[in-house]
Amino acid sequence: MIPQHAQIRLMNLCAILLLFVLTTPSWGKDLEAFPNLNLNDPRSVKEATRVLEEELKLAARPHTYVLIDLVGNTIHIKGRGVELHHMPIVQWSVGSWEKLTGNHRLVARPQVVRRKIEPGKGDEQEPISLTDMPADYDLSFSSGLTINVVPLAEKGNLAQGIAFMGKAWWRRLKNWTSTIGTDQPSTSAAQLEITVSVDHAQSLAWSLVDGMAVLIRRSADR
Amino acid sequence: MGRVLLACAAVTFLTVLIATAPDTRPVASTSSQVVHRPVVQDGPGLRALQAKYKTLSKQLSQLKPSQPYILVDTARNRLYVKHQGEVVLNAIASTGSGTILDKPGDDTSQWIFDTPRGEFLVQSKLTKPTWIKPDWAFIEEGLGVPKDAAERAEPGVLGDYALGFGKGYFIHGTLYTRLLGKNVTHGCIRLNDTDLKGVYTLARVGTPIMIY
Repeated sequence: MIPQHAQIRLMNLCAILLLFVLTTPSWGKDLEAFPNLNLNDPRSVKEATRVLEEELKLAARPHTYVLIDLVGNTIHIKGRGVELHHMPIVQWSVGSWEKLTGNHRLVARPQVVRRKIEPGKGDEQEPISLTDMPADYDLSFSSGLTINVVPLAEKGNLAQGIAFMGKAWWRRLKNWTSTIGTDQPSTSAAQLEITVSVDHAQSLAWSLVDGMAVLIRRSADR
Repeated sequence: MGRVLLACAAVTFLTVLIATAPDTRPVASTSSQVVHRPVVQDGPGLRALQAKYKTLSKQLSQLKPSQPYILVDTARNRLYVKHQGEVVLNAIASTGSGTILDKPGDDTSQWIFDTPRGEFLVQSKLTKPTWIKPDWAFIEEGLGVPKDAAERAEPGVLGDYALGFGKGYFIHGTLYTRLLGKNVTHGCIRLNDTDLKGVYTLARVGTPIMIY
């Protein structure tokens, strides 16, 4: 027969143990940079550590940066390791995996038509808004990388679908013709094409600033 | 009664132990599968990579602000105060209009009324601030720029508080609350009186402001 005070102590111990076991995994998960990482796949873990090494350099500075996660199919706007905003990627395709490593500095982004204030006109002048941003554009980086942002046509909008598809094919044709006469196959170009919704394409265009750093986490399925 | 309680405690303990025991079976991994538990039989190479990944993850999480910080979404005109990932304050704001104004007498130079993007720090906290109107405020209204500095002072238009974050940019109040949620400012961040008081209370000099 166990005395009553010993039973109470044992139950308290069990309760503490239960609490400890239940809370420990969530601590570890909070610390993980990529919750979707397959820790049993060496290639995935190696890629995640490569990206983390690059991200640590960027997060140490007072600037926002972009992480394009091709595993999680998400574009993250980040600062100090904190996610500020994210946008889902519908689909992506890549020219050359090797050239996506390192951090890429944005040198050219889409032109935004700004309205000019006419002095003395006051409230009549419309400000710029998210809908003024382009949805179909290219981003050029100092590393030679080009990212083509392709908008996904809204469901049921056939005209928009045809227009977006036509632009995408035209871009591919231009890329292909530029490689004619050179030894390089078209697939070796440092090029990433990402398809996002129109809203997210405009949101990305809004968030980008000149010189912004972009990191890419490559998929292990490459 | 005592024996029943003891039996219950023992069953709970065993259930927890069984539920949390490491799975040593090989795991079939596919790209869509999320597996967090390391396989025990894997070689030292993978274990070293896993350890490095966890160390780097920890280092990255240590760079995150430990104190409350201000987040500003200029596209959607929202201001949040966050602390350890949780939203403490969620406010509708007004941010930069993105419009441009030519500088008179200089064909190549102009003002661009954007809210700056990036990371900043609260540099000053003011109560009952007075707006010292810059040149563009007069030019935009079609007026001449006054020579007397006293003519630039305009009290009562910035609300009860202002938080400066450098280069003349402030988080402040507004008389035009109907314009909150729109990009209408010259780069400053406007809030209503209640939210402004909340931000003023939560922020200290040195609080990070992240603007995107």
